[in-house]
Order: sequence, then structure tokens, then C-alpha cells
Amino acid sequence: MAHENSPGGVGNLVTLDGDSIRNATSGMDLAQRIEGRLAYATDQRDLSGLLYGAILRSACAHALITRVDISKALEMPGVHAVIKANDVPGLNCFGIVIRDQPVFCDERVRYEGDAIAAVAADTPEQARAALDAIEVDYQPLPVVSDAALAEQQTALHNSHEKHGGSNLLARETLECGDLDDAFSRCAVIVEHHYQTPRQMHAFMETEGGVAIPDGKGGVLFRVGCQSGHRDAEQLADILGVAHEQVTVESTVTGGAFGGKDELTVQPAAGLLALKTGRPVMIHLDRFESCRTGMKRHPVSVKMTTGCDAEGRLLAHKAEAILDTGAYASLGPAVLENYLDHATAPLYRIEAYRVSGRLVYTNNGVCGAFRGFGGNQATFAVESQLDELAHGLGIEPAALRRINLRSPGDAGSRNQTVRWTAPPAGVLAAAVASPLWSRPDTDTGRWLTGTGMAMGAQGNGLGDGLPDSGGGRISLSPAGRICVEFGFSDYGQNIVESIIRSVCNGVGCREADVEVLLGSSRGPDSGPTSASRSTVLVHGVLASILPRWMDVVRGHASRVSGHPEEGLAFGPGGVFFNGRQVLSYRELAESASPDEMAASASQDFPVAPDSGQPVGRYLQLQIATVARVAVDRLTGRVRVTDLHHVTAAGRVIYPPGYLGQIEGAAVMGQGMALTEDMTTRDGSYLADNLDQYLIPTFHDAPLQRVDVLDDTPEDDPFPVRGVGELGIEAVAPAITAAIEAATGVRVRRLPVDPGDLLVAMAAKEQTL
Amino acid sequence: MEPVNNEVTERQAVRVMRPESPRQAVSFAKRFRAPYIAGGTWLQPSCERDRQWPVHLVALNPDWPGFRGIQETEDGLSIGALTTLDELARHPLTALYLPPLSGLINRVAGPGVRHLGTVGGNLLAGGDLSALALALGTEVDVVEGKGSNRRPLARWFQDRPASDLLRSVTVPDCRGWGVSVEKLGYRERFSPTRATVACVHAGLQVQLAVCGEGGPGRLMVTEAMLRDEGIRELTDLAIVVDSELETLGWHDTRLRLAVRRMLESGLMEVTRGA
Ligand SMILES: Cc1cc2nc3c(=O)[nH]c(=O)nc-3n(C[C@H](O)[C@H](O)[C@H](O)COP(=O)(O)OP(=O)(O)OC[C@H]3O[C@@H](n4cnc5c(N)ncnc54)[C@H](O)[C@@H]3O)c2cc1C
Repeated sequence: MAHENSPGGVGNLVTLDGDSIRNATSGMDLAQRIEGRLAYATDQRDLSGLLYGAILRSACAHALITRVDISKALEMPGVHAVIKANDVPGLNCFGIVIRDQPVFCDERVRYEGDAIAAVAADTPEQARAALDAIEVDYQPLPVVSDAALAEQQTALHNSHEKHGGSNLLARETLECGDLDDAFSRCAVIVEHHYQTPRQMHAFMETEGGVAIPDGKGGVLFRVGCQSGHRDAEQLADILGVAHEQVTVESTVTGGAFGGKDELTVQPAAGLLALKTGRPVMIHLDRFESCRTGMKRHPVSVKMTTGCDAEGRLLAHKAEAILDTGAYASLGPAVLENYLDHATAPLYRIEAYRVSGRLVYTNNGVCGAFRGFGGNQATFAVESQLDELAHGLGIEPAALRRINLRSPGDAGSRNQTVRWTAPPAGVLAAAVASPLWSRPDTDTGRWLTGTGMAMGAQGNGLGDGLPDSGGGRISLSPAGRICVEFGFSDYGQNIVESIIRSVCNGVGCREADVEVLLGSSRGPDSGPTSASRSTVLVHGVLASILPRWMDVVRGHASRVSGHPEEGLAFGPGGVFFNGRQVLSYRELAESASPDEMAASASQDFPVAPDSGQPVGRYLQLQIATVARVAVDRLTGRVRVTDLHHVTAAGRVIYPPGYLGQIEGAAVMGQGMALTEDMTTRDGSYLADNLDQYLIPTFHDAPLQRVDVLDDTPEDDPFPVRGVGELGIEAVAPAITAAIEAATGVRVRRLPVDPGDLLVAMAAKEQTL
Repeated sequence: MEPVNNEVTERQAVRVMRPESPRQAVSFAKRFRAPYIAGGTWLQPSCERDRQWPVHLVALNPDWPGFRGIQETEDGLSIGALTTLDELARHPLTALYLPPLSGLINRVAGPGVRHLGTVGGNLLAGGDLSALALALGTEVDVVEGKGSNRRPLARWFQDRPASDLLRSVTVPDCRGWGVSVEKLGYRERFSPTRATVACVHAGLQVQLAVCGEGGPGRLMVTEAMLRDEGIRELTDLAIVVDSELETLGWHDTRLRLAVRRMLESGLMEVTRGA
């Protein structure tokens, strides 16, 4: 069972432990997923007439294309089609926010993953051989590789008018109060630079899918993706067909984390399918995935923060540069979320000005990634708080306690926010972590230390962006309660949460429920991102389940002859006086499916009183306590323990909650310690997972996840999405622990053991 | 490692030759300027990464006499070049002669690579075993005619013709020696070595070697200093080690600092009580 505990007078604190998973695990696809047995879209190779596609990528990071000759490739054995830019019947570009990424480049390439042409052939080997036969002449252009200098260099997008043809894609400033005055009253001011890495999603299933022509000009895509509806719209525009002619089924996906939010292989596969009239499968190998896939935005920021002599935060300033790479993708939205988090949303600060510049470079492409800019900002903010506490000579936790917002307070952008527990309660639980009482060793080889950081995370797209989602429930002909959403399941196990909610609401068995996800023909639920799906699933089900039950109960009454009031839903069917009178199958057979269906769509919750909403209304919190051991000989850091205290509403499915928090935390650990897709002149220096190093099981620490749930009984949004929360505070907690162990504060991620060792050696000399 | 042959091809066009004897293998390697392939765990990813495959490969056969297995001999422990890393880690003689070895192998790659990867392949790819093998004063048996020719590994590394075929290595009888080996990777497991440092206290003298980002090498100058002067002053030792490492090709000063510290710690460990 989960443990109830109440350290330091904290409210309703529960530890999710092994029992809470064992008791809740059911026949889900988890084991198949882990063992590599789960069939992805690219495993369906028995399609009649299937061809294999391959995409020619740019050999240069930045160049003009002076010639593309596909004639030899067309003559190669097994080749059915070779296409390039002038074969795109519709728009030769895509992009969620700005359509600035060509499907096939014809004049200019802007990163080494840019697509120039594509081939469909009988075998993958023949397709690759044909790619080698395509001749491309380039005229190299100066490579824009340093985000800090990008605005003074050759513009990557001449047509980008908004900023007069510069590499500045977006800039934004959030401010409140009189900053100069506030700084003038500070007793302690700290100013530092922070740098976070270009992290790769490194999902298990590399990008892939199959496009199947319907023979009438339309195409069905089966693909690992995050938003079937949005992809279908973009694809119809590219293929030059009506929107109804494109269907996207987002199949079971082996991880996404934001990296499959944007289109990946779909445009090339769809165009080849239309050209050949045959199904075309494209599956990137790991090399191609590394080279072309989205990455996390590297951020470089200068932060200046000040407080008065009592430790009250008065002034806070941030100037950030985000490297978005060659194309916009979701970069502008990432910038917004970065700045939102850079305002230090958990803390009251009298005045702030946080500004960011999002620039184009030739360093790959950056876009959505779990945390969405927020965790990069939190790393800097939380580090600044530790520095201030040192400056004042008080405990870092004490400084936070002085400044944390209270439940009734507005958010950092003066918006109404809805927490599920008081931030001070989260802090108190973290301060009571047993990790603090482990003795620190400063002798021998391993130096140990414990550190802590906090983070806030909003649910939903935020800032008043259109954000709605719908779902549908019906009784299938086979007598199963069929629930449909447009979301994708890419490992977060949303299916289990849906089943759990339906069983709780209806009173049926798990076996009575069938969940259909991810078809662009089904209800439009919006993207599977921004930790929004759980909230919407819960909201939509809360709205449609009672209606659907009324409809079905009425029907059951007519069929069975029993009064509606006495009929109850239960395992396998409808009951009267404790006896099953109709099975769900019998009910289904007695009416058409549409007669027993209900659907609804709802807007993502925003603050009720606001005009144009800013920031995010539904807020979650986390405090992560990290314990590390640093090797005095080499500077290598081992994270031995992570203890998270979360406040994210009610836990409806403990394994899902635990999996999300722990998994995200290990991802955060990777960002903190080993992961960085570094570039030289626009070329990535790692090309596979033996060079780009994600944490392994041996690196994963012991973790404990506590849930502080003070959600009011009548809270209309008691269930929140925790897909990103776990990553929020891990990096600053680790660097705080490193400082506790060694006396060295690291401000550049990932932590470089060599730099750390040199700094440790310098400290030893001064002792 | 030096490419054996500049001629390259597509993966599916590679011709794998299966010689009947070690002697024929050497003759194939010379005639076709073809590399040997043992477990293929180093060769295959290297070729995949470069998208370049040699036209010919010479497959080695573990059934050839002396090529696989571990035996006690008069000179110490003889290990066949085609013995897999797994076999080496699990063998009872390994526990008897070199207790720290299985711990090191456990930190080499992952189970799949250890199952296929061989001792010879590891040494020739500059893998983790090379530091320990060098520090132990290991000798190599290289196929020559119908027999083989024995010489010190350190010397072979310096002037090794590409067609030399390694049959086995012989580790001197090191029971009772102090042996310490330490690996610095980027992460706990499944990481290429940044630096692997081996210290051996062989009766009267210490023997030191490294491998990793700066390449494999025996630290002869440092050893000589220790022999002549003992570990009197750690700062003197640091200066000598540092300059010797740099001469060997270890140009990253921060990594040299780590290697120095690992060496100091290893030395303490192996000389403790001596
Ligand atoms: C993912 C991954 C992780 C790895 N991690 C590590 C690690 O942590 N530590 C480490 O040390 N290594 C690591 N390696 C490198 C290496 O694959 C192994 O160390 C392995 O032992 C190599 O042996 P092999 O038999 O597969 O060699 P092969 O790939 O077959 O050959 C390697 C080289 O040696 C030559 N060769 C092989 N046998 C002979 C012989 N008998 N005579 C002459 N030449 C020969 C070949 O021609 C080739 O040039 C890793 C490899 C991979 C793929």
C-alpha cells in the first residue's frame, strides 16, 4: 500500500511505492513495449504492394542548391519514383507555428537534415542505393552556428519579413513593476550566466510510418505522431488534396516527448504514395533520426536577481537567447513558456523583466520537448535563489519559504492560478526528506551532497491559444463501451487512465471498455502535448459519461421492461435488484451504435475571470531533492537518489503517475549530466546513441515520489497532467547537490566532469 | 586505427572470406589488403557510421588451435584472441589470476557486445583491456608461418603490420601481485572509455598503463622514476605523469588531471602494505 505520512505538519502526503503499482497494473502493453515486441506502424510489412521510401538529406549545413539531378536514380533497379521540390503538388512547406520548413529544398538548404529528394523502391537497400545516385551541387554559404551572433549574420530566411530579414525569429519581454527602483533597494544582488544543452528525445521508436493511397486521390497515414488532426491538415495542404481525403491514424508510438509533434516522414511518404499508387513506408534509422530530428532548444541566459536584507525577492531580470535552429516549428511557443518560467512563477517578486530572443541558426532544428523551455528557465531561476541564499548566509529552503506564493495569490503574470496544494506544504515535505539526514562524506574518494530545487508547471497550451478537445463514447456492436479520443498513446499509457476513469464512472469492468485513440476521423482532441490530455480526458468524460449513461439506461429500460430508476450499470451489463438483466452485448444488439453514443468537446480550462488569458491557470508544483556522489579523482557525478514531492491533483492511475515523474526525472538527469548534441559548423558531433549518451538503468537513481494532494472536494479540475512535471526541478537540484558535495556551483549543463574536477582541485588548493 | 584498405564498397557487396587456417587468413589479409573480423562489434558500427565497408573481410575461426579459451601455462595465463569478453569474465582462472578483471569487463559495453566481442578485438580497437594488458606486461603470439611469434604487447602496438594476426596473449603469472584498474566513462555503463588506468605492483616494481581518448600506452618514464626514487613526493610524480601523458597523445589537460588522480589512487591501492 501507499504510505501516508505527514512530515512537518504537511497535509495529505502519500508516497507512491511499489505496492501502488503492483496493485494497479493490468494487461497493458508495457511489457511488450519494454521488450521491443510492440508492433509500431513500421512493423506492418505485409501490406500488399508495399514500397520503401528513403529521403535524401543535405550534405551541407548551409548552402545554395545549384543543381539536383535525379535521372540516374530513376534508372536504378527496383526504383518506382524519385521526387523533388517540383513534384510537390500543394504547399512545399510545413510548420506548426510558421510554415517555413520546405518538404523538399530547391534553392537552399539550412541544416544537415534538410530533405532534397525522396525515392520509393522495392526494398530499403534499393531506395538507399538510388539516393546515392542523385546528384546535387551546392554552393556553400557561411554557416550560422553561434546563436549569440546569429542576428548579425546572413539571414537564413530572406522572406521572413517580420524582423526585416534577420535571424531573429521572435522576441518577447514579460515585465512587471519598477525594476530599476527594485534593484536600487536590494541588499544582495547576484548575476550569472547559465547554459543548457541541445537535448535529443532519444525515443525507442525512431520516426516512421506508412502512407497508403486510397486510389481516389486520398491517402491514409499510419504513423507515430502526436496530433493526427493537425497533421492531416498540413498534409492535405502539401498533397494538394481536400482535407477529407487525408486520414491520419496515430498508431501506438514508441515515445515522442514532443519530438513527433511536427511532421516527420509523412510528407515524403504521402507524396511517394500518390506518385506510385502504392503504400510507401519510411522509417528513419537511428543515424538519420539523430541528424534530422527535433531537439530541445539550447538556452543561454544572463540572470540578475536581488533581495532585501530579510531575503524578500525584489528584483529579477533575465536576458535569454534560444537557438531554434533552421526552422521555427514550435520555437515561438517554447520562447513564451521559457519566459513564463523565467518569471519564477512560484515566488513573489516585486519587479521583473524577462526577455528572450529566438534565433535561427544552421544547428539542426529545435522544437517541442518535455518541459517545453520551462525546465531550462527553472534551472537558472532556482540556481539564482541558491546563490542569493548563500549571499545572505541563510538556508536555500529558508529563502524559498520567505518568498513562496500562497494559494490565494495571483500567479507571476498576475493571472488567476489554481494550485492543488500550498507551495509552502510542498517545500516543507521536501525539507523533511530523509535524504537530508544522510551523513555527507568529505573524506575518501566519493564526496556526497544533497540539494533541492522547486518548480512549477502549467497544464495546457496557455496564453489564450485556441485549446479545445473532444471525445466520444458509444456502445460497439460487440457490446464494449467504446471511448474515442484523438490523442496518441506514445508510452504515457493514457489508455489505462481512460479505462480507469470509465470503470470508476460507470461501474463496469476493465474488459468492458475499449479505447480507440489517435484517428483524425475520430473526435479532435487537439495535440498530445503540454500535459493537456489527462485534464481534457477527465473533463470530457465527466461531461459525457452521465449523459451517455442516461441514454443507455433509458434504452435498457425500454428493452428490459424495468423502470429506469432501478437500473444500475455493473460488470458486464445492466443490473436490476443486483441481478444482471442485460449484457452490454445484448444492449448493443438492440439498437444502432449511434443511438447509444454521446460526444462532447470542451475548451481547456482558463481562469474564469480573465479577459485574454495569460500564462496557465491550472498549476502543478514539484520539489526535487537530489543526492549525488562526486568522484574526487575524476569529477564524475553519480546521482544516487531523487526524492520528488509533487502537487498535481488526484492520482487516478498510480503506475502512470509514477512512470511519468520518474521517467521525466531521468530525462532531466540526462540533460544535467551527459546529454548534449553539440555542433561544429552546423554539424552534429554525435550521430548515434553510442556517442550521444542517455542515462542507462545503471545511471538511474533510487527514486521516491510523494504526492501532496490537498485538492478541494469540489475542485472542478481535480485531475492534472503530469507528463512534464518530473523534469522541471531535477537539473537545479542536482547542481545544488554537487555544490553541497564539492563547493563548486555548476552553471553550464551538462556538467562537464573535467571542468568540475579542475574547479574542485582549485578549491582543494585554497583549503 | 589505421584503415587497412582504402577500397570501399556497400555493405551488401562486402565479401567475407573464410580461410581454412590461420596461415591462409594471413595470406588473404595480405593479398586482398583485407581486415580481419572477429566479433565484429567494433568493425561493424565503425563501417556503418562511415557508410564505408572494406571490399573484403577475413573471418577468423575460433576453432583454430589456440585461438579461443583460457589456459594455465608455464609462462602464466594464455588467453586465445577469439575468447569473448563474456567467457573471459566468467572463467574461474580469471578469478584466480586477475580478480579485478571481471569487474572491469562488466563495465565494457553491454551484454550483447560482451557476448560477441573478443579479447583480440578489444586490444586492437584500443578498448578497456589494453591498459590492463599493457600494465601486466602481456605478451602476444602473432601467427607466423605455421606457428607463431611471441613479443611484448607494448612493442607490437608500436610497429604492428596490418596483416598481423593475433592468436593469443599471455599474461604473466600475476597471482599475488597488486592489481588495480579503473575506468572513467561518460556514464556508469555502456560508455566508451575516456580513460582506463591500470596499476600493477609486480613484486619489486610498479607498472602503469593507460588507454582511452589519448590512446593506449605504458607509462615507462613514470615507472622509471618510481623505480629510482619511489613515491616520495606526489607533486613530482604529477609533473612526470602529466608530461608523459601529453607525449603519449593525451592533450586534454582536464582529462590528464583525472588520469593522474586515478593513477595516484591506484598506486596507493597496489602498494598498500608493500
Ligand atoms: C555499443 C558499443 C559499446 C562499446 N563499449 C566499449 C567499452 O565500454 N569498452 C571497450 O573497451 N570497448 C567497447 N566497445 C568496443 C568493442 O566492440 C569491444 O571492445 C570488442 O571487444 C571488440 O571485439 P570484436 O571481436 O567485436 O572486434 P572486431 O570488431 O571484430 O574487430 C576489431 C578490430 O580488431 C581487428 N581484429 C580482431 N581480432 C583480431 C585478431 N585476432 N588479430 C588481428 N586483428 C584482429 C579487426 O580487424 C578490427 O580492426 C564497444 C562497442 C560497441 C558497439
